[in-house]
Amino acid sequence: MKHSFVDRYANLDSPLHFLDARTKLVGFSALIVTALSIRAGSTGEFFAFFFFMAILAGISQIPMQYVVGRTLGILPFVLLAGLAAPWRGSEGWAWYLALVLRSTLCLLILVLLTNTTRFVELSRGLRRLGCPRILVANLSFLYRYLFVLADEVMRMRQARDSRRVGRAGALAELRTLGSMLGTLMVRSFERANHMYQAMLSRGFSGEFPVAAPRRFSWRDLAFISVVALFVAATVYL
Amino acid sequence: MRFLWLNPAGYSLQCPRMHIPDGFLANRIAISLDVVSGASILYAVRRLKLELSARVIPIMGVLSAFIFAAQMLNFPIFGGTSGHLLGGALLGIVLSPMAGLLTMATVIIAQALFLQDGGLIALGANIFNMGAVTVFSGYVLFRLLGAPGKPGKHLPLTGFIAGWISVEIGAAACALELGLSGAVPLRVGLPAMTGYHAVIGVVEGALTAGVLSFLARVRPDLLKRDFSPRFGFPDWVGGAVLVAIPLGLLALAGSSNLPDPLQALLSRSLVPGAHQESLLSSDRFTDLYRVLLYLALVAIVGAAYLASRFVRSRGGRS
Repeated sequence: MKHSFVDRYANLDSPLHFLDARTKLVGFSALIVTALSIRAGSTGEFFAFFFFMAILAGISQIPMQYVVGRTLGILPFVLLAGLAAPWRGSEGWAWYLALVLRSTLCLLILVLLTNTTRFVELSRGLRRLGCPRILVANLSFLYRYLFVLADEVMRMRQARDSRRVGRAGALAELRTLGSMLGTLMVRSFERANHMYQAMLSRGFSGEFPVAAPRRFSWRDLAFISVVALFVAATVYL
Repeated sequence: MRFLWLNPAGYSLQCPRMHIPDGFLANRIAISLDVVSGASILYAVRRLKLELSARVIPIMGVLSAFIFAAQMLNFPIFGGTSGHLLGGALLGIVLSPMAGLLTMATVIIAQALFLQDGGLIALGANIFNMGAVTVFSGYVLFRLLGAPGKPGKHLPLTGFIAGWISVEIGAAACALELGLSGAVPLRVGLPAMTGYHAVIGVVEGALTAGVLSFLARVRPDLLKRDFSPRFGFPDWVGGAVLVAIPLGLLALAGSSNLPDPLQALLSRSLVPGAHQESLLSSDRFTDLYRVLLYLALVAIVGAAYLASRFVRSRGGRS
């Protein structure tokens, strides 16, 4: 089976994709912090920020409907916070609008970051920014074996569904699910042991080598300066 | 839109729905919890380096993929919502809390990066709620209720309680953070989150119990290995410092009219203008008070570091 649900657009060839992962991690984090600090009622700043994000999204060549679809993910929290808005009096709705706009901006930035960077490069960037080695190794393992285990889950689910008619009682259902998860866990443990033997015999030293890592280049300098200018403009104007 | 890719029937509300997006937490709270979670990850890394053989690295890696994949298996509850395993308590019990914490942190980071599920600045809060709190509370409950060394008759019951309560505490922490940020008032958020997760948590408890009793039946060696006293005194101290104290500060701030300690922890915010919008104004605190609380934060991190420094290796394992 083929899965392309994560970093689906990370292999495109836009200028944003060519940046070093560290540049993007630092730059986009700065953008998120800036977006978080916009006050309610400053319409101009929100407008400028959305304009800037639209330009970046355009440069990145990621399909617009994908980006918009992803931003719907915050809906549950938006609704929960919406429950509270009427209690805030006259300021309530302006405050709520600012909250929704801010979190939408942050999500847009995150979507751009993760869809312009291949995961291998992202974890390498994290490592070079000082993230602990074990954590980065964990992330790499997760990425590699997620697809294998997702296949396993789908096969198990198919097997379960083809062996039953209708729905059993809740308790029986839960017991089946518990056994399925237990089976999956035992298989994961065994897979990990086999992997470890295989890795040792291939000379695993604790680092995951990456072919042709990106270097910090003039593109990165340009991107960082644009972001810094924008952040400074938003904060001080 | 999480897991839409495996759910052709369409979007159904996923439930333990605790991934806080960016923008809902006040910057102070988000950044304080980033610091706390960062410290707990560093503590766990240091602890594991001292004690574990390299063999455990792939185990943690594959189990984080396991948690990710296990969350695909939904249990429909009512009205289109469905619950799935959160997995914190299970990992804490099967893997030991330190490895469990790192594994959950990996899962939560990956969910933010793959699925944009939970924000980037809010990552610390999410790791705290769904990683540190569920792993440690699940493990502690399991150890307190069960007879150590004898995974027997009570295993399903203790597993159920550990899973259920751990989700409940995580949800309460989430509601407290949202409440203190002024995003969702406590009197709305706390009953909503805890009430909802009290129902959802039954699924978590049942699945934790189910997996544990399955493991006890099929591969008891995996469980027995982990009943060994690997969670020693320094870890109780480290867990208390990194989980119980921030949790206590949150609860104290949420439940009383006393000044909010966590809010004042990072003396004002790091970003200009960010503190303006909270309902809980921090103007009534004296500067002295703020300085003291800032020192408390530094002390938390420092204590965690020192505790990890003085931990001695207890010989090989695995």
